[in-house]
Amino acid sequence: MRAAICIGVTMVFMSAGALADGFKNCTKEPKASWQPATAAEAAATAAGYEVRKSKVEGSCYEVYGVNKQGKLFELFYNPVDLKLMHTKAK
Amino acid sequence: MSTSGDARLPAPPATVAVWDLPLRLCHWALAASVLVAWFSANVDDAVHEISGYVALSLVAFRILWGFVGPRYARFRDFVPTPRVLLRYLSDLAQGRTTLYLGHNPAGAAMTVLLLVLLAIATITGWMQLTRRFFGVTWVEMVHTYSSNLVLVLAIVHVLGVLLMCWLQKENLVPAMITGRKRAASEHKEDG
Repeated sequence: MRAAICIGVTMVFMSAGALADGFKNCTKEPKASWQPATAAEAAATAAGYEVRKSKVEGSCYEVYGVNKQGKLFELFYNPVDLKLMHTKAK
Repeated sequence: MSTSGDARLPAPPATVAVWDLPLRLCHWALAASVLVAWFSANVDDAVHEISGYVALSLVAFRILWGFVGPRYARFRDFVPTPRVLLRYLSDLAQGRTTLYLGHNPAGAAMTVLLLVLLAIATITGWMQLTRRFFGVTWVEMVHTYSSNLVLVLAIVHVLGVLLMCWLQKENLVPAMITGRKRAASEHKEDG
């Protein structure tokens, strides 16, 4: 039992460390130079997504969008130039 | 412990089967999946989602088992009335406990509370992956708060087990592994 717990806990920490997939880095510019979050939402809308919400994730705007086919995406925008940095399908 | 048949050692106390095998497997698998889900949150979405689905299935099984399982697994056998629970808790606050073979009223209340919160946490987690509730703030908030509460309750659950072990001089952890607890007569002798 103790061995099983040890293996389980080790696996948890390994998976937590090794497979980290949170996308966080979009710009090094200070927040003062960022565009408003609504600009990122507008960019996603223009790209054909139905925008559900947006939030700041690290130095990115993360927009929750549903595409025309009904698929779910998290879109990560550079808050300065609104370049799409990363798209994560859910 | 003793396999040598040493005559000086007292006979092992009589035990009875209390926790059935599916219940025990469900308990430890749920504990593991909650730990994995906790540590993978905001770190690895795939691991988090799979552990969440596993936890949801286990909670669903445990609730079903609470209706169709053997005696000690059944809600009808262990869910206390508020009055019984309050009296047990006030006795407990003074260090007095009554012995129960299955869940004591406090353990029973914790079981129900954990199952309800786990159901809320896993269902709201699942909802966030549906088209209808993706990116809906209240779902995300309910998921976060219920998940945090599950972790707090799980810690209280472990502390409660340790407190019971200490008050009643019976190690309850092996009981959830082997399923066996000391027989009622043994309980009374220890008083």
